[in-house]
Amino acid sequence: MNIIVYIKQTFDTEAKIVLDGSGKIDANGVNLIINPYDEYAIEEGIRLKEKLGGDVTVLAMGGASAQTAIRTALAMGADKAVLVSDPALDNTDEWTKAEILAKAVSQIPYDIILTGRIAIDDGASQIAVRLAEILGVPSISSALKLDITDTQATVTREIDGGTELIEVSLPVVVTAQKGLNDPRYPSVAGIMKAKKKPLKTLTLADLEFSAGDIAPKMNVDKFTLPTARVAGRKIPGEAAEAAQELARLLREEAKVL
Amino acid sequence: MAKGIIIIVEQRDLQIRKVSLELLSQGRKLADETGEPLVAVVLGHGIEGLAQTVAASGADKVILIDDEKLANYTTGSYTSVLNKLIRKEEPQAVLIGNTAVGKDLAPRLAQRLGVGLASDCTEMEADEKNFLSFKRPIYAGKAFAHLSSNVRPILATIRPNTFKAEEPDASRQAEIVKETADIDTADLRAIIKEVAIAASERPDLTEANIIISGGRGMKGPENYGILEELADVVGAAVGASRAAVDSGWREPKFQVGQTGKTVAPTLYIACGISGAIQHLAGMGSSKFIVAINKDPEANIFTVADYGIVGDLFDVVPLLTEEFKKLV
Amino acid sequence: MDAATREVYWNIEGEHWLYLLFIIALVIFSYGVYKRVVLWKLGQPENRWKDVGSGIKDVITYGIFHKRILKDPYPGLMHFGLFIGFIFLAFATAVITLQADFAMQIFHGWLYLFIKFSSNLFGLIAVFAILVAAYRRYIQRPDRLNDNKPDDAITLALLFTILVTGFVIQGVRIAAIGDPWAAWAFVGQWMAIPLKAMFNQAQLLALHVFLWWFHLVLAMTFIAYFSHSKLFHILLGLANQFLRKRGPIGIPEPIDFEDEDLETFGKSQLREFSWKALFNTDACIRCGRCQDNCPAYLSGKHLNPKKIIQDMKVLMEETGTAVAGLKKVTNVPQVEGQEPAESGESEEWTGRALIGEVIPEQDIWACTTCRSCEQQCPIFVEHVDKTIDMRRNLVLMETRFPSEAQLAFKNMENNGNPWGIGWSTRADFLTNLGVKTFEQDPEAEYLYWPGCSGSFDARNQKVSAALVKLLQAAGVHFAILGNEEKCCGDSARKLGNEYLYFSLATENIEVMKGHGVKKIITQCPHCYNLLKNEYPQLGGDFEVIHHTVFLLDLVKSGKLKLNKTAGKSITYHDSCYLGRYNEIYEQPRELLKAVGLEIKEMAHTGEKSFCCGAGGGRMWLEEDEGQRINEMRTDEAIAVETDYVGTACPFCLTMIVDGIASREVGEQLKALDIAEILEKAI
Repeated sequence: MNIIVYIKQTFDTEAKIVLDGSGKIDANGVNLIINPYDEYAIEEGIRLKEKLGGDVTVLAMGGASAQTAIRTALAMGADKAVLVSDPALDNTDEWTKAEILAKAVSQIPYDIILTGRIAIDDGASQIAVRLAEILGVPSISSALKLDITDTQATVTREIDGGTELIEVSLPVVVTAQKGLNDPRYPSVAGIMKAKKKPLKTLTLADLEFSAGDIAPKMNVDKFTLPTARVAGRKIPGEAAEAAQELARLLREEAKVL
Repeated sequence: MAKGIIIIVEQRDLQIRKVSLELLSQGRKLADETGEPLVAVVLGHGIEGLAQTVAASGADKVILIDDEKLANYTTGSYTSVLNKLIRKEEPQAVLIGNTAVGKDLAPRLAQRLGVGLASDCTEMEADEKNFLSFKRPIYAGKAFAHLSSNVRPILATIRPNTFKAEEPDASRQAEIVKETADIDTADLRAIIKEVAIAASERPDLTEANIIISGGRGMKGPENYGILEELADVVGAAVGASRAAVDSGWREPKFQVGQTGKTVAPTLYIACGISGAIQHLAGMGSSKFIVAINKDPEANIFTVADYGIVGDLFDVVPLLTEEFKKLV
Repeated sequence: MDAATREVYWNIEGEHWLYLLFIIALVIFSYGVYKRVVLWKLGQPENRWKDVGSGIKDVITYGIFHKRILKDPYPGLMHFGLFIGFIFLAFATAVITLQADFAMQIFHGWLYLFIKFSSNLFGLIAVFAILVAAYRRYIQRPDRLNDNKPDDAITLALLFTILVTGFVIQGVRIAAIGDPWAAWAFVGQWMAIPLKAMFNQAQLLALHVFLWWFHLVLAMTFIAYFSHSKLFHILLGLANQFLRKRGPIGIPEPIDFEDEDLETFGKSQLREFSWKALFNTDACIRCGRCQDNCPAYLSGKHLNPKKIIQDMKVLMEETGTAVAGLKKVTNVPQVEGQEPAESGESEEWTGRALIGEVIPEQDIWACTTCRSCEQQCPIFVEHVDKTIDMRRNLVLMETRFPSEAQLAFKNMENNGNPWGIGWSTRADFLTNLGVKTFEQDPEAEYLYWPGCSGSFDARNQKVSAALVKLLQAAGVHFAILGNEEKCCGDSARKLGNEYLYFSLATENIEVMKGHGVKKIITQCPHCYNLLKNEYPQLGGDFEVIHHTVFLLDLVKSGKLKLNKTAGKSITYHDSCYLGRYNEIYEQPRELLKAVGLEIKEMAHTGEKSFCCGAGGGRMWLEEDEGQRINEMRTDEAIAVETDYVGTACPFCLTMIVDGIASREVGEQLKALDIAEILEKAI
C-alpha cells in the first residue's frame, strides 16, 4: 500500500505571538513542533504499513526548519520524505498551497493520503479537502477510526453531535481527528535510522510553477493581536450579586455567552 | 457582474441549524448596507416547509433544491449541486456556517469554484474596496488575520455564535424558487452506512467550547448534579480535577490536567478546584477562566479572569439561573 | 599451665580417612563454586577490582564489624552471635589443623585454654543464635522472610547439629576420662554430669567414636554444601562488600549516542548485565531488609526489591542451563570432510523474557529510586541500577512506557519543563521580584538555579521568593539563567530517557559554561544531585550547594541573623535525594534549631526516611496500585503531632501538601520549606 502523510510544522502551543517590524507574525525564537493533528496521521500511516505492507512517504511544505519535523516522522517509522521548499511559499493562500501540494503528490504513487484535520496555527482546515478536489478523489474529514483493505476504506468520522460510518473506495484523502490513535514516541533506534532515510527537496521551479501561477485568491490584509488580557479580578458581593455580575461580564465583556 | 449574497442554509432532519439563522440575520444587515439582494439556498429532501422560516429570517430569495440524494449531507452531492448553482447565480459572496458540514463542504466548493476561502471567521464587515472583509482567529486566538479578496465569489465560513439570530418576521415575503439537483454521479463515491447521534447533548471535553469543572471542593459524586445543570443551560461539557477522579467521584475520561485531558475551551469554569500546576497544565490555554472557590488564597485565582470567593454550592445554582436568563 | 592440652585424636582410629572425606568435600565444594562462576560469566565484563584498600576496609567495617547488619538490633545481634561463634570455632579448628597436620606444637598452654573457653562461650552463643533464628523464621514469621526455602531449614539444622554434637563429644570425653581443665570447657563440664550418670565407660567410648565421626561427616557436609547453599553468602557477601561501588550513589552509566555501532540502548536480556549484576543475585541472602524499607512494597505495590534480585537469579540459572544445553548439542564429533557444525551459543534467547515475564513491567515503573533498599543492604546489592537499565530499554528501544511519561518527555523537549509551560515565561516570576539574569549581571558570584518547580509551580514559587529574600538579606551576589535554564533532566534520566537527558544536560552545561558559572545554589535536591554528581560525566564541573547548606553557612558566619520563636514544633522530612544520595541530614535540622523550633522525628527518619513517592520520575506518573505513598508519609507526619512539617525539596513539598489536603488536616499541620521557615525568622 502506498501511503502519503502530509504534515505541517507549526508553532508550539505555548508560543507567545508577537508581530515583527513589518507586521508579520514573528517566528524568532519560537519553538516549532509537528502539528499535533498530523501526528495522528503519521501514526495511522505507519500502522497501515505495519498491517498491510507498503511504504509511507512524508510530505511537507516549508523552510529548512521543516526538516526537523520530517525527521521526527521518519523516526516514528515513515520510510521517505519530500519537502517542498521555496521562499515564494510565504505569500500563498490555501488555494495556491493546495495546487502546489497536488503537483508534488502526483509525482508519488498513492492509495491513501493522510493528514491532520486542522493545523493549530492557521486553524483553517482547508488544504486536505482542496487537495482531494484537485486530485479528483473523495475526502473524509475528522476520522476517529479507520479500517482499510487493499481497495476500500471504512471510516468512522466525527460530525456535530455524533459520528458517521462511511465506506469509500481507494484512493481517498482522510484527515485525522484527536482520538484516532495514540502517536508513538520515536525510539532512539528510529531516530538514528531516520538520519539515513531519503529526503528529497523540491522548489517551485522543480514542480514547474512560475510566479503567476501561485498568486493567492484570498489575501491577508494585516495581522492584529488581541487586546491585552485584563488582570483577573475577584467579583465582590454575596453569592447572588456575584453570580449576576459574573453572568453579565461573561456576556458583555468576555462575550462568551 | 457579480450580484447578491448567498447564504447556504444548513438543515438536518428538517431542522435549520442555529448558525444559519445567525447568518441570515447578519446577511440581512449586510444586504441592506450594500444594497445587494440576500439569497438563501437550502438543500435536502422534503424541505418545502422550510422556505417560509428562511424568508422570515431575512432572505429576499429562497432557492430550494429538493432531491432524494440530498436528504443527508454528502460532500460529493452537495459540492456538485452548489458548484453549478453558484456559477449560475454569480454572487458577490457565499457564506456558510463553520459546522462539521461547513468545514467539509466549503474548501471543496472553493477549490471547485477556483476561489479562496476565509474560514472560521469571527467578524465580517462591508468593505469599500473588496466588498467584504473578514477577521479570523489564528494561533488559538492569540492573533487575528484580516482577510479580503478581489476574486469572485468571496467564500467564507462563519463561526457559530458570532452573530445574533434576530427574531423572525413572519410577515416577510420572499421569492421562492425550486431548482433541480444537478449531481455528477462521479461525485457520489462515499457511501454513508450509518449515522449515530450521541444520546447526550453534552459535547466531548476536548472539543467543548465551555467546560464546567469540579474538584475537591465538590465533596462527593452526588454533588456534580449542580454542575451538570449549569452545563446543560449553555451546552457545556463537565470536567473534573484529579482529586475528584482519584476519589472515584468522576470517571477518568473526564479528568482535566497534566495526566488527564488537555482542553482549550473558550470558557472554563473551575468550581472547588485549587488550581495546582498539574491541573493548570491541562486547561491553562482556555480563553477565559472563571474560578469559584471558598479559599481566597487558592492558586486558581492567579490564572482566573474572573473569580468568586464563595461557597460553590451557593454560587453555582444562582449562576445557573443567571445563565438561563441569557440564553 | 603450659602443659594444658588434650590428645587430638584420642579414642579415634583411622583418622586418615578424614583426609579422604575432606578431599571429596573439597571437590564438591569446588564444583559448586565453578558452577556459580560459570553463571556469573554469562554477564558482561566490568572492572570492580580497583580500590583494593577501600575494599579491605569495607570488608572489615561491614563484614567483620557488621556495620549495617547491626542497624536492626534483633536479627543483627542474632547474626553476630552466630558469626562470632563461627569465627572462634574456625579459629579453633585452624589451630588444631596446624597441630595435627603441620606438626606445629601450639595447641597447648594458654592458647589451648583460650580456645577451650572461647569455643564453649561463643559456641553456646551460636547455638542460642540458631535457636533464635529458627524461632524468628518459623514461629514469628516476619514479612521480610516470606520466601522460606528448604535450604534455610537444612542450613539451620546442619549448623545446629554440628554445634550440638561438638558439645556432646566434648561432654562425653570429659565424662569418660575427665579433664583437669574441664572448668574452661564449662559446657562440656556441665554435660558430663548427666552423661556419666546415663552411660558406662564402654558406652561412653563407643558414643564418642560414633559422635566424632558423625560430627566429622557433618563438618565435611558443611564444606561440600557450602557452595551449593546459602552458606555461600559467607564468602559472596564479603566479596560484594569488597566489590561495591564507591563515591556518590546512583549515577547511571552514560550512553554515547554518537557511537554509530551502538545498536541497543538499555538492557532487556539478562546477559546484557555485567557479571557483577549477576553476582549480586547470588550474594543476596534474602534477608529482606530492602523489602522492609521499600516504599513501593510497603504501600502495597507488587514491586519487591528482594524479589527482583531473586527472580533475576532464577533467570540466570535458566540461562545457564540453556547455554550449557546448546554447548552440548554443538559438541558433535566432526566427520572428516564435512563442514564443522555451528558452534557457540545462539544469539536468540528463547526462554522467559526478563522484562515482562520475570519482572512485570509495572514493577519496573513502580520504583521511586529512593535507594532505601540499597542503603539498608548489608552487602551492597545494587537494585536500582537494574531498574533504570530496563527502563532505558523500554523507553529508548521499545517505546513502551506509561503514556503520562510521554507527555512529560514531549513537554521537556518542547519547552524545557515537564509541565509544558511556555519556556519564554520561565524567568517571569523571579525577574518580577527584581532578580537579575546572568545576561544582565555577568559578574554575579553565584548562579541561583530555581529549577522547574521553583520557576513555574505556584507553591514552590513561594519557596523561591523566600530564598531570594534570604540571599538578598545576606548580601549574596547571585543571578539566574532565566529563560536559558532548562529542566536539569533528572526525571528524564531516571525514567530511562537517556537521550532526552543528554540533550537537556549538554545544553544546560553549554549555557552555564558560556556565562562562566562556577558556583550554583539550588533548592531542589534532584537538580542538586544531578548538577553535582551527574553533570561531570558530560563535562559540567561546577560547585553545587544545596540551599539548606548554604543558608546554614550564612547563619554560622553571621551574615544571616535569625530570630528565635518559642513554642512551635516541627518534624523534618529527609528527602531521598538530599539524605541518602548526598548525606545531608544535619544541616536542615541545625537551621530549624537555630530558629527555635522543637524537632520531633517521624518513625522513618534520616537514612531510613520514607520516600514521598515523587522520585524516579514518578512525579509525572499515575499511581494506581495500592496505597498512595505520599499519604502514608503524611500519616507518619500527622502521628508526630507537630505544628509543621519541614521539607527541603519541591517534590516532597508538593507531595506532602497534597497528602495534608487529602487527609484534611490543613488546620493542624502546615508543610513549609526550610527557606520559608527562615524567611519568617529574619
